[in-house]
Amino acid sequence: MTNTLTLPIGLPGQGMHLACDPLSALFLCILAPQMLATMIGPDKKSPTFWVFGLGMILIVIAADAFTLILGFELMSAASWLLVLQGDRRPATLYAGIAIFAGACLIPALFLPAGGIAFGLLLLGAGAKAGLAPLHAWLPRAHPAPSAGVSALMSGGMVKTALYVIIRYGFVVMGGQIQPWWGGALIIAGAASVLIGALRAMLETELKTILACSTVEHVGLIAVGLGIALRARTLGDANLATLALQGALLCAIAHGLFKPLLFIGAGAVKHGTGTTSLDWLGGLIRGMPKLGTLMLAGCAGMAALPLGPGFAPEFLLLHAVIASAGTGDIIARIGFTALLGILGLSAALALAAAVRMIGIGFLGRPRTLRAAAAEEADRATLIGMGILAALCVPVALAPGILLLLLQPVIAMLVPGARPLPLGYQPVPLLILASIVTAAAFLGLRKFGARGEREVPAWNGGFGKPPAWLPFGNPATQASATGFAEPVQRAIGFAILGPKTIDPGEVFILDPLRRVNIFFTRAAERIRRATIRQRLAFVFAALVMFLLALGLTQGQ
Amino acid sequence: MILRLLLAICATLLHAALMFGAAPLLIGVIAKLRARLLGRPGPPVTQPYRDLHKLIRKTPLIPDTATQLYQIWPFAAFTATATAALLVPSFTFGMATAPLSDFITFIGLFAIARGATMLAGLETGFGFGGAGAGRDALFSIFSEASLLVLVLAFVLIGHHPTIDGIGTTFRDGHIGISVSLGFALAAILAVALTETGRIPVDNPAGHLELAMVHEAMLLEYSGRYLALFHYTAMLRLITWFSLVGTIFCPFFMGDSASPLSWPFGLLFWLGKLMAGMVALALFEVSTAKMRVFRVPEYLGVTMLLGILSGVFLFVAERLGG
Repeated sequence: MTNTLTLPIGLPGQGMHLACDPLSALFLCILAPQMLATMIGPDKKSPTFWVFGLGMILIVIAADAFTLILGFELMSAASWLLVLQGDRRPATLYAGIAIFAGACLIPALFLPAGGIAFGLLLLGAGAKAGLAPLHAWLPRAHPAPSAGVSALMSGGMVKTALYVIIRYGFVVMGGQIQPWWGGALIIAGAASVLIGALRAMLETELKTILACSTVEHVGLIAVGLGIALRARTLGDANLATLALQGALLCAIAHGLFKPLLFIGAGAVKHGTGTTSLDWLGGLIRGMPKLGTLMLAGCAGMAALPLGPGFAPEFLLLHAVIASAGTGDIIARIGFTALLGILGLSAALALAAAVRMIGIGFLGRPRTLRAAAAEEADRATLIGMGILAALCVPVALAPGILLLLLQPVIAMLVPGARPLPLGYQPVPLLILASIVTAAAFLGLRKFGARGEREVPAWNGGFGKPPAWLPFGNPATQASATGFAEPVQRAIGFAILGPKTIDPGEVFILDPLRRVNIFFTRAAERIRRATIRQRLAFVFAALVMFLLALGLTQGQ
Repeated sequence: MILRLLLAICATLLHAALMFGAAPLLIGVIAKLRARLLGRPGPPVTQPYRDLHKLIRKTPLIPDTATQLYQIWPFAAFTATATAALLVPSFTFGMATAPLSDFITFIGLFAIARGATMLAGLETGFGFGGAGAGRDALFSIFSEASLLVLVLAFVLIGHHPTIDGIGTTFRDGHIGISVSLGFALAAILAVALTETGRIPVDNPAGHLELAMVHEAMLLEYSGRYLALFHYTAMLRLITWFSLVGTIFCPFFMGDSASPLSWPFGLLFWLGKLMAGMVALALFEVSTAKMRVFRVPEYLGVTMLLGILSGVFLFVAERLGG
């Protein structure tokens, strides 16, 4: 399984080492469907796009640190170019984050295993994955490029960053795991989950909502990985297995439904010219197939039972409950609060998914372009269809998938035994089918047949005038209006009165101020007159001689 | 083995028949009790059955702004709620659905029903439905978080993830009266009132669209689809009654393997339902509905109670060794 392939290119005398162990194979399987779906899609594929894909694959199959860094930097540089093609403003921010990630990751991979190396790894790979507090760039940069690239960035790129954390945290540094590593991952993950879910509920731009939801799912995966790391240091192999099952299954499911939703958002943009929910509405009339596929993706995003996102959520929640069952009291209270946060975020994710479908695809059109939207082209629908079809086994046979994941888990947690899954979707589906059939047949037998189309009742308001064919768009709930109760009750409490992401307020804004300070200082030096410069050189010379004289004198 | 399985299936079928049959009766009895407490004669207890029958026979009026998915939402909400109703033990433990009755699955099924109802509210694109859906989203966030925190306490005390297993442990084990479960009871009652849309969170008998939450989302539905939504709400109420009864009062509940214990379990279940209905009616006539933005505060307290229930559990375990 782990034959290493050595390529003659790369570092002089060493070459590049590639290998494919179960962990790499798993992440290749996560990357493959979304790459396929993106390739089928209608976007133009530039050479940059292929370099981007190659970089991701290189990270996953790298067997030495140099190859991994090469892949990482190829991926960062190519995705920066792709973001730049979409929108200039977030591209600079994105380049800064990518450089920061690289600067943290390179020392992390070459330092001896230990606390500093893991801290740097967490900062570098975490920044790339969009883990709080370094997540604020993600909702800006991911929506910028074309839909296919956004899909790959959200579904694939963050996964490769998480892969680096798993590879180094569990495998390479596996011998020296310290107890705080897991705790740090859990806290960063919990913050990402809460902020991501809340912002997904409050944003109005379709692709930004999806990017915020990516922050949430990265947080969920990080929570699972953190619990697994912590359990491994505590010697609880069963708990580590449970948490890893949840985290890896979440990575698989997210790698399917998120690209699907991003590609769909691209089709909406193509069809209507906008992705702002406040300018859409009623799209499912013109785009029934796209709407149905988006509905399937949203069921995954909201982690509903019988959807692809539920089994991972189920496993993660049980892992949190099990972690709260033992240990010291502070940690147990912490896990109880974490469970509360996860519950809050799960309901927020459902509300965000409902909002995306309910405001964008149902209801009345808010603009003429939304009313005139036509079905997406076949290539897009086929790409989305492949992803949706792959969601079915994840949704209905998670138990089999977990058996397939067992080699990976055994590699990450020594002594892991397969655990049965408490959630059985197939009997649940059978029960649900029986009750639906009963309701349907009962209503057919005893109920009145037929339906009549009438003007909507709308609380007794009259029919709209003829020059407003869909009624007044202002009289239906907008995306902002739907989210207003949540905004008032918890949005202000967590995001502040201006509802700005804490990641921006506490990380990006201070950095921006530091940047301005140094720019001004540099500008002052550049503007100095010739006399000031000469005086500066002279002063430097005097100081140098003085220092020399003092040291010589002793 | 086969006999046990057959008995389990029989118990499940009986449970299904009772749950689906008695759900409207519950609403009728509560309405009657409330009316009596307010000094009015009130409608007969069979009124909900008549209402459902009337609605089913009427031709549904489909709004012209509805999309193709208009008919899907009532079925989705009903299916999820009915599946949840089949998972909760009523008069006996060990039903055929017992292995499926994981608490988190149960919460997820209610989430499907809620999502479908919210989408039904947004479906036709009119203001009241959207406002109701937004409010429901707000309530659900807090109630789901409180419920998950409560599940933690139940699972840790009951050492089992399924509702059936938790109830069995609570019945057979000597749990005793713990502070933790007291907090949990207060919290789960508050969550149950929210989830079933009763006073003080929502008024199912209200007629003012502006103050509606659950009903506002159904304003554009009529005929058999409205009947299905109403029936779903009734099922939800009986499911929550049974859930609270199973967890906090599992004594005398039967086992599917011994049919002789069923009649007593049935009687006891009826007693629990009756007590619950009387308590609910008394509570509803003595309380006023809250303003919408008071509800998050109320549910925040609920969540705090849930967390306290967990904390007391940890402290008790620490002291107990």
